[in-house]
Formats: sequence, C-alpha cells, structure tokens
Amino acid sequence: MVVGLQRMRVTRQRFFAAFALSGAAALAALGLALVEPAGMARASTVAGKGDKAFGEYLAGTCTTCHQVTGRSVGGVPPILAWPEDQFAAVMKSYRAKDRDNQVMQAIAGRLSDEEIYALAAYFGSLPLQPNIK
Amino acid sequence: MNFVSNRRHFIIGASALAGATVLGAPAVLGQAKPRVVVIGGGAGGATAAKYLAKEAAGALDVTLVEPKTSFTTCFHSNLYVGGFKTFEEITHSYDKIVSAYGIKHARQMASAIDREKKEVVLADGTRLPYDRVIVSPGIALKYDSVPGWGQAHEEKMPHGWMAGPQTQLIRRQLDAVPDGGVIVMVAPPNPYRCPPGPYERISMFAHGLKKAGKTKSKIIIIDPKEAFSKQGLFQQGWERHYPGMVEWLGPKVHDGLKSVDPATMTVTTGFETYKNCAMVNVIPAQTAGKIALDAGLANPAGWCPINPDNMKSTIDGNIYVIGDASIAGDMPKSGFSANSQAKVAAMMIRGELLNARTFPARYANTCWSLVAPDDTIKIGGVYEGKPEKITASSTFLSKTDEDAGVRKQTSDENIGWYAGIVADMFT
Repeated sequence: MVVGLQRMRVTRQRFFAAFALSGAAALAALGLALVEPAGMARASTVAGKGDKAFGEYLAGTCTTCHQVTGRSVGGVPPILAWPEDQFAAVMKSYRAKDRDNQVMQAIAGRLSDEEIYALAAYFGSLPLQPNIK
Repeated sequence: MNFVSNRRHFIIGASALAGATVLGAPAVLGQAKPRVVVIGGGAGGATAAKYLAKEAAGALDVTLVEPKTSFTTCFHSNLYVGGFKTFEEITHSYDKIVSAYGIKHARQMASAIDREKKEVVLADGTRLPYDRVIVSPGIALKYDSVPGWGQAHEEKMPHGWMAGPQTQLIRRQLDAVPDGGVIVMVAPPNPYRCPPGPYERISMFAHGLKKAGKTKSKIIIIDPKEAFSKQGLFQQGWERHYPGMVEWLGPKVHDGLKSVDPATMTVTTGFETYKNCAMVNVIPAQTAGKIALDAGLANPAGWCPINPDNMKSTIDGNIYVIGDASIAGDMPKSGFSANSQAKVAAMMIRGELLNARTFPARYANTCWSLVAPDDTIKIGGVYEGKPEKITASSTFLSKTDEDAGVRKQTSDENIGWYAGIVADMFT
C-alpha cells in the first residue's frame, strides 16, 4: 500500500512539471519541434523557472510593439515561443548594452533576472499562429 | 451594496444556477458582479476597458462610456497631416473589443459622477452604479487662453489637438497654402498633451510644402516655452531637410503673443506682426477633461493628482484617473503613457474587486517623432511609483550624430509600435 502511494506522488509531480515546460518544449512534445529535442533537454535548467502570471503582467510593456499574435510590423521581431534560455540571453544582452536599441536597453535595464525569466515563461508559452505575417 | 468577498458571491451565484433553487433569478446573479465604469474611449479608456474585461473573464461588469463608435488616434495624426497615412489608417472601431470581451458600450457622454451615490450620470440621465470608475477623459482646451481666439474660431484657426474632423481640417488648410504663404503656429504652454507633438506637426507642414514645391513658404512658431522636447534634434532636422523654411521663436525673442485676429488672419507678438497668414494653428493651454474637473478630481491648475503606485485618485478611493488628465510625474502626456497606466489601473482594480494577484506598478513610454521621410527621432523611459511621483528609472533620447541607418530603423520601429498599440487597444 505504502509503495503504491509513493508511486502516485511521483507521477503527480511529473505531471505538474510537464506544465512548467517552456513553450518550445511543449511544441516539441507535440511534434512541432523548432529546436533539437536534445538541445532542449540541456536548456531545461531554466525551463519552468519563470512566474508566468508575473510575466504576463510585465508583458504589458512589451505588447505595444511585440504583438501577442506574433504579427511583425516595421521590423519589430515576434518573440513568441522562444526557448526560455534564449529569450533570457537576448534580454540580458540588452541589459548589458551589448545589443543596440535604446528602447530595449531601457526596458531590459530595469529587469531583474527573476523578471526576465517570468517574461521568458510567458512569451514562451504563447502559441505560434500559422499565416501571421 | 458592499462586497466583502466577491469570490464568495460569485460561487453562490453559480451553484444557485446549478441547483435552480432560492437564488436562481438572473437579476441576482447579475448584481453579484462588481461593476466598473470606464469614462472615455481613448488610449487610456479603451485599453482599460479591454484589459479589465479580458483578464476578469466575465467576473466583472465593465461599461465603456464613449459617444463615438470609432476612435481616431491623436498619435500618428501628424503622419496623416504629412501625407504618410490615410485617415482610415488612424481610425479604429470599438466593435472587436466590445464583442470579444463582453464590454457594455454606452454611446454617449458622461455628464457627471455622483461620488456619494457611486453612480455615473450619462447625458440622457441614465445612472450607472459603480464599484470603481476609471476616468480617462483626455484634455479640455482653455479657449480663453489665447487673446482673440475662442471656440467660435476653431474652424478658421484650428487646433487639431483632438483627433478627428479638426485633423482633416488642418490637412485641407495645409494643402491650400500657396507658395510663399506663411503658416504661424501658436504653441502651447506646459503642461500639455504630447510634448513633441507640435514640432512633429511643424515637420509635417514643412514636408507637405516641400513635396508640393512650395519652398518659398515660411513656418513660424510662436512658443511661450523657453525650450521644447527634443529641441536640438528637431532644429537639426529642420535645417537638414527644410532649410530656411522653419523659424522657432521663444518668449525672449517674440516678447509675448499679444493677440490673434481670425477675421484678418493676423498674429501679433511683441516683436512682429504677421498679416494675411495662409494658416494659423492655435494650440491653446489645456486642462484635464471637463468631467474630471466637474467631479472635483482636479487640483486648482486643472489636472488630477493620483497615487503613483496605482493611478488611484488621491481625492476619491473608488476612482482612478489615467492618461492626459492625470498628474503622472515624469511620464509625459502621451498615448503610450495612457495605455501603460491603464494596464496598472486595471490590474489594481481586479486586485481590489476580485482578489486577483497584483504586482508593483511598472510604467513605460516612448515618443517617436517623424521629422522627414525615414528620419524619426525618439525619447522615452521606464518609470516606477515612488512616494512623491511616478519617477523615471531610466530614460533615452536619440542622438544628433546618429547615421541615416539608425533614423530609418527608428522610423520603422515607430510604424511597428503603432500597429502593435492599436492591436493592443482595439482587438
């Protein structure tokens, strides 16, 4: 009886852990992989790190340029479904002013690591839509 | 009716439907939802109504009070004046957000806020009870602030500072300026909607004249201010693109605007008199929109003080004031700012009424100004609530020595932002 209960607990933990996977990992699981699954496994050290609800709130600053549908106008890149570690790396490079764009440097400049991962989790979870230009 | 815990009422309502017993009447269920009224459907109000309704997913009764069925954005209206956008491209319907998120659209003006009874009074006398109000009325023009000018003269000497028919009038008048004609702009004193706006408009006037081959025309700006937003950048741009066409006069030079005469199209300053002007664009002093003043939400100068942490009025704890009408510290009065503040206010209201999770307020703004084709300059920052005011934690400004490639990228960015913010507000 005791052994059986323990097994159930582990399964439940794995079940909830799956929800915490980044969008790209979820896409990969659905057979719509954007990156090599092996690469995703290594990157999963940051998967599930970010507070998605916090990220959704912080994204209010972003969505006036980076549309939530992924539609891209005027060279503003879509940022949906990016692997979270890559999202975080790009934001950190703006924060360090290694990338050039004054708006992004100012926005990234005030974000802590926790906030960057929250944004990564939120945007990473948004689905890519077909036929969006 | 006071709601201690709205979640409890909501759950009671749902089980009543399932059980179809004592509390089954739909009217009771309807009363269980907290009510939020949003006054004004501009950049602040449209954003607030959408975010409230969308994020509450049916748990809030949201009414947008706005007489218009579609909104012409003041931001990028200068691009229409300059011939870079059509009027249709800067005009957006409320249909999508109303139907997608179940927002009630009261298509009339709000005439008063009865703060004691907690009811918004509409123009036809209808009273809307509220738990919270978001007041986002934009600005009112001080028609008596320019001697010789007034509401009776706003067709002859338009302001174009509320987008719509006035914007189209400005464009028509610009198109009719003859080669060698003089345009005079009477610029506004601080604080006003859109700090770089008048100077982007000057750039659009100059571009329109140049494009039509009317390079003998002159544009004079009579400014009550000693300096203006992005001044060095604008003046460099005017010299580069429109040499000899634009003259900006500060108060030390013009020695004060004495009067304008719409009948003869004359502008008189202490220094010079301009007769038979082809066009006179008067942008007068401003206050918060009338409903905010009438409701007692403004200070003696006519702007509404708010709590920097949440945009709540410091005068009434059930009312939030956002956008141009509010005193927002370091944030300029802009569409971007209004949209940013609206999201904070919507979150805070959901926190109060639905026990939703809230986070510390974060604000942002960027103002892009088109100086000439592919030459756009910007200013902006990110902001937080601090005890005395909303305070910039970091700001940025275009540089005078940027190359053409950067200015082109900034121009594209401006177009990308506009597409994004109107999608954010209206879909």
